Amino acid sequence: MSTEITWEKVLWKRQPYPDNYVPESFLSELRRNTNFSPYTYSAVILASCMIAQHLSALFIFLAVFARLYNETLDPRLLVGLTICCNLLGYILGELLESQSQTSRVETRAKMLKSIIFIVVALVILSPGLRTLTAATSSDSIWAISACLFILNTLLADYEATPPDKLYTTRLSSASVISINAAVFSSVVLASRLSTNNAVFALTLFSFHLFALFPFIRLRLQAYPSIIRIGFTTFMITLSLYLIASLSVFVVSLLILGYILVLFISPAILVWAQGHKNEIRGPWDVAVPHLR
Amino acid sequence: MTNIAMICDFFHPNVGGVENHIYMLAVNLMNRGHKVIVITHSHPPDRVGIRWLVPGLKVYYIPLRTIASSATLPDFFAFLPYFRTIILRERIELVHGHASLSALANEGILHAHWFGIRTVFTDHSIFGFADAASILTNKLLEATLRNVDGVICVSYTARENTVLRAALVPRIVHVIPSALLTDQFRPAEVPPPTDIINIVVISRLVYRKGIDLLVATAPRVCARFPNVRFLVGGSGPKLIELLQMREKHLLQDRITLLGPVRHADVRGVLIKGSIFLNTSLTESFGIAILEAACAGLYVVSTRVGGTPEVLPEDMISFAKPDEDVDVMRALEEAIQIVSQNKHDPIRAHERIKEFYNWGQVADRTEVVYNSILQSEPRDLWTRMQRTLSLGPFVGLIYLGMLVVDWVFFMLLEHIILPRDQLDYVERDWDLKRFRQVSHS
Repeated sequence: MSTEITWEKVLWKRQPYPDNYVPESFLSELRRNTNFSPYTYSAVILASCMIAQHLSALFIFLAVFARLYNETLDPRLLVGLTICCNLLGYILGELLESQSQTSRVETRAKMLKSIIFIVVALVILSPGLRTLTAATSSDSIWAISACLFILNTLLADYEATPPDKLYTTRLSSASVISINAAVFSSVVLASRLSTNNAVFALTLFSFHLFALFPFIRLRLQAYPSIIRIGFTTFMITLSLYLIASLSVFVVSLLILGYILVLFISPAILVWAQGHKNEIRGPWDVAVPHLR
Repeated sequence: MTNIAMICDFFHPNVGGVENHIYMLAVNLMNRGHKVIVITHSHPPDRVGIRWLVPGLKVYYIPLRTIASSATLPDFFAFLPYFRTIILRERIELVHGHASLSALANEGILHAHWFGIRTVFTDHSIFGFADAASILTNKLLEATLRNVDGVICVSYTARENTVLRAALVPRIVHVIPSALLTDQFRPAEVPPPTDIINIVVISRLVYRKGIDLLVATAPRVCARFPNVRFLVGGSGPKLIELLQMREKHLLQDRITLLGPVRHADVRGVLIKGSIFLNTSLTESFGIAILEAACAGLYVVSTRVGGTPEVLPEDMISFAKPDEDVDVMRALEEAIQIVSQNKHDPIRAHERIKEFYNWGQVADRTEVVYNSILQSEPRDLWTRMQRTLSLGPFVGLIYLGMLVVDWVFFMLLEHIILPRDQLDYVERDWDLKRFRQVSHS
């Protein structure tokens, strides 16, 4: 008799089934991995190019610092190179950005003003920066700058930004901390150098590498993958070349790092996706879309 | 006849669904001849120690600090000395914990096994799986319920949720809906007028109750139906948005904000209206819609959680919770039904009376208790193995806790407070005698 009455998922009537009856439809409304689109290996590698670029920028900076510290690099040459890179980057940016705004002259004037301000301030501050940490031992400085660069690398903005938002997104607080950590770190490193010129050159270089370069990196995402791969390869090669003449051990570590970032980690992520188990069901908090 | 201890952080003098549920269940079990006590945390300065609630429900208020939302800190051990003394004194045979976020209930279930007494747990709410808080509390629940003897949920949806969250065998999870005192929610003697239709909303004004949906729909409903008024009871952070909406659309004469409504006054507000609107984004059972339906209102609710199970289809209209347009459509449907007098409040009340009453809840809970008391308990070794199987990392942590708890229990048993030094309760409250005396 009782089996003739089909069970219903309602509470308002007594049904001839015990309270712990498990119906056929139990968990039938459970949805797994909805809206789940798996990443492809190549897409993840392309996205991790950003991290590789950041790492290579960091090691290029360290190599340049080591050369200035050993006095094997003329600070004037570094300033010249930095300015060349700056101009090149600016011209490329002007050519590639297809903006037609009337306020361009105004922005250029503003930019020129801030460049002059920064350069003059750096020139004035260089003697002060040089002796900033004279009372601190070099070991503490290496430790501090290592910590700060790790912080910088961890917090840097590697997020894939959709092309239409590239020029409107603001810096997140994490990436602001990241930039500040890098600049602070390069200032304490610069204080180890022996001449005012070297201090000026290194600080100017670090501004370019840690404050301006991330923006280029971000905008590069809008370009075809071949350009991104090419640029990343260039950066990686440059960093390896610059480090290679200093220490073979560091170079081998760096190569391992690049392999980990570019090939192994993406592989782990793609493999881990197979274990994704996102559960959705009628108990989830609904999200109202208001019109 | 069984000696039962209800354990929960949430109890009188706090008010709410869980608190009320525990009290009503305890009283109805007492009416069936069981001995029931409640263990909860104290409310300093004055609600401490042992208190009695009418009609003779003994409540232990344990001096443990609360950390947030009236829940105590889940430290797993501080409760054991109190718990042991009470369980032994009162000769408890079954512990019934309530609410997954209550640390006392979680701990009680952990400790209960040392006394060889059986455990039941009632889960009153549902949780997601994605946010950090849910992940942590779900793991805690899974560990607690690893060795529980029986679980009760308030709706079928809540049961599916609990089974998934705590990785339970579905067979030990029972569904027993909550109930209400139907006499406290009688429809109005004079039925509400049909020329002006009042839509009643009583809810905490917070995001989870879907107040955004109310803010979006109320002006449109007012514009469409000139004879509709809104009565909104409750307070909370979303009150400001309601006030702004009322001001912006100049609806001060159409939308009345009543502020917080005491539970005793809910019926008074409900019977002024003919439609009850519930815009919750998540709900395990939805006692509010049940109370409203009982008071003779036609209900419009979002289709979330357990709400589709509570009422028969002709007493309720559902809306999709993710679209404000659909809430509007459901309200239109309800306004038509009510204005054409198709909904009979008295009949609705009579039907609710049939479906939901506390006596039935107590009966069904009794069945769960009896089946558990007849089953074979797990020994310590099995419990340790089951705890270890929680996971390679969590399993070890909880196994460690289990062992420490056992050592603590042994210290209490043999050194700190041996059983022969305890004062036992020799005479219990006799509810039948009390009834005789009070009625004569």
